[in-house]
Amino acid sequence: MKGDSKVPRLLHILVIVVVCIGIIGAVAYTHPFVGITEERINWNLTLIGEGEKVVTFDEIRALSSYEGYGGFFTTVGMVNGPFKCKGVPVEELCNLVGGINASNTLWVSAPDGYLMVLTYDQVKGNFVTYDPTTLKEVPHGDLKMILMYEQDGASLSEDDGRPLRLAIVGSDKLLTEGHYWVKWVDKIEVRT
Amino acid sequence: MKARHIAALVIIAAVVVSVALYMPHEQEKTRLKVIYAGSLIVPFEQIEKQFESQHPGVDVQMEGHGSIQVIRQVTDIHKEVDVLAVADDSLIPDMMYPDYSDWTVRFATNQMVIAYNNKSKYANEINESNWYEILARQDVKFGFSNPMLDSCGYRTLMVTQLAELYYESQTIFVDLIVYNFDPQISVTKNGDTYIVLVPEIFEPRAEKVVIRGGSVQLIALLDYGGIDYAFEYKSVAQQHGLMFLELPAQIDLSSPEYEDVYKKVIVRLGFQRFASVDTERVGMPIFYGITIPKNAPHPELAVEFVKFVLSEEGQRALRDLKQPTIPPVTDNFDKTPDELRPVVIKDNKGISRKEER
Repeated sequence: MKGDSKVPRLLHILVIVVVCIGIIGAVAYTHPFVGITEERINWNLTLIGEGEKVVTFDEIRALSSYEGYGGFFTTVGMVNGPFKCKGVPVEELCNLVGGINASNTLWVSAPDGYLMVLTYDQVKGNFVTYDPTTLKEVPHGDLKMILMYEQDGASLSEDDGRPLRLAIVGSDKLLTEGHYWVKWVDKIEVRT
Repeated sequence: MKARHIAALVIIAAVVVSVALYMPHEQEKTRLKVIYAGSLIVPFEQIEKQFESQHPGVDVQMEGHGSIQVIRQVTDIHKEVDVLAVADDSLIPDMMYPDYSDWTVRFATNQMVIAYNNKSKYANEINESNWYEILARQDVKFGFSNPMLDSCGYRTLMVTQLAELYYESQTIFVDLIVYNFDPQISVTKNGDTYIVLVPEIFEPRAEKVVIRGGSVQLIALLDYGGIDYAFEYKSVAQQHGLMFLELPAQIDLSSPEYEDVYKKVIVRLGFQRFASVDTERVGMPIFYGITIPKNAPHPELAVEFVKFVLSEEGQRALRDLKQPTIPPVTDNFDKTPDELRPVVIKDNKGISRKEER
């Protein structure tokens, strides 16, 4: 009798252990740990205009942010996004070094040796926009050029230009040409 | 005994289920990373299919970019890539030798054309001798890609400047290009050479000329009547079913016979978009180049792939999809992998722009 009572108990324990292992395994399998969300990011952005200022990633995050939708397509027409993008308006960053006006151009560069030169109009959001499905040019509402640090609610991955990437966003879910979306931005210069 | 049996069965079942869950569903394939120039997208999709069908254990992962970006994936961004194919073969020696590669095989060519469709204004009138007059007409809109971003863009500037020499007219470049941009594009003459200076900001003055980042956007614009004509590569125009006007060989950048003529135009870009590439583009015949980076993760398979591209079957696949080919020529026979030597011709001239200057 004593031995018989142990059988179901042992069985129960085993079943519970197996079920727990199964649940943990399934969760780990379907939700791999991506981590680093709280990791401290050491990244400096150099701003050059009327003088020079270096701001850290944390200081950038502390500035007032803008959220909007935007995406891009590559040279061969591969569509990326649209994503929900969060970052600091580039114009705000320019204001930290004297601002930008119509006689200036903006030089945005990254440590991989990539440079893009933009007009004042572009900084103000004047871009051609495209439908994400057809890639046909479509009109758009107000656009803003931001220095993005969050994409779809998470910090950027290395491939997406972590930690700072130029992005063109607005309230509509539209695309712009991909070469403007400079990855790994570490320098923004206002030139006359 | 009964309890032990049940317990053993449960554990075995759990192990079997776990193993089944984590086992790959099929045998893992070898991933061969191939990065290619955007204008090769259509033929290389076909090459991918054919190569995979002959190599069932291989998954060819294709990625298209502008030619300079193709090379930068290896040299600046340090990605591991098995095969590179670009639309300007001189970029490989200029950007990759000697650290990342030391041989290039020319395998294809192209030519500049003016693409249009039956909705384009004066479509039934345009020909080899009046195209520049038609493009200059007030009610005609034309487009080309941004020379800062796309090789087809700076080649358009070369074609229009070469047209002045060929047609003995001093107004073609001015009428089509100079007057339509603000700030203006200027041309300086140095002996026999014309240097086209592209400003940092490349913006059309009015709607007559439309500038976009690449072919994809221009073809869409042609489709729905946003422009009447676009400067394109012939292969791209054909692959998209567009009508096109062939230009004289003296200006369409297709013929090695006119290499010395093409060299008379240099385009100097307004800013150095890539730290690893200078801002000068010299007029040259269009040749596509292919190589295997020294750090390719699957060098033997990469050789197999290049061998397939250069084979009669591969070249036929390219031609069937309107990508003109040439007999494969290597610039460095001794460094070319042994397995490729039987299918390439030796060319000791070298193909670097830097060496020629």
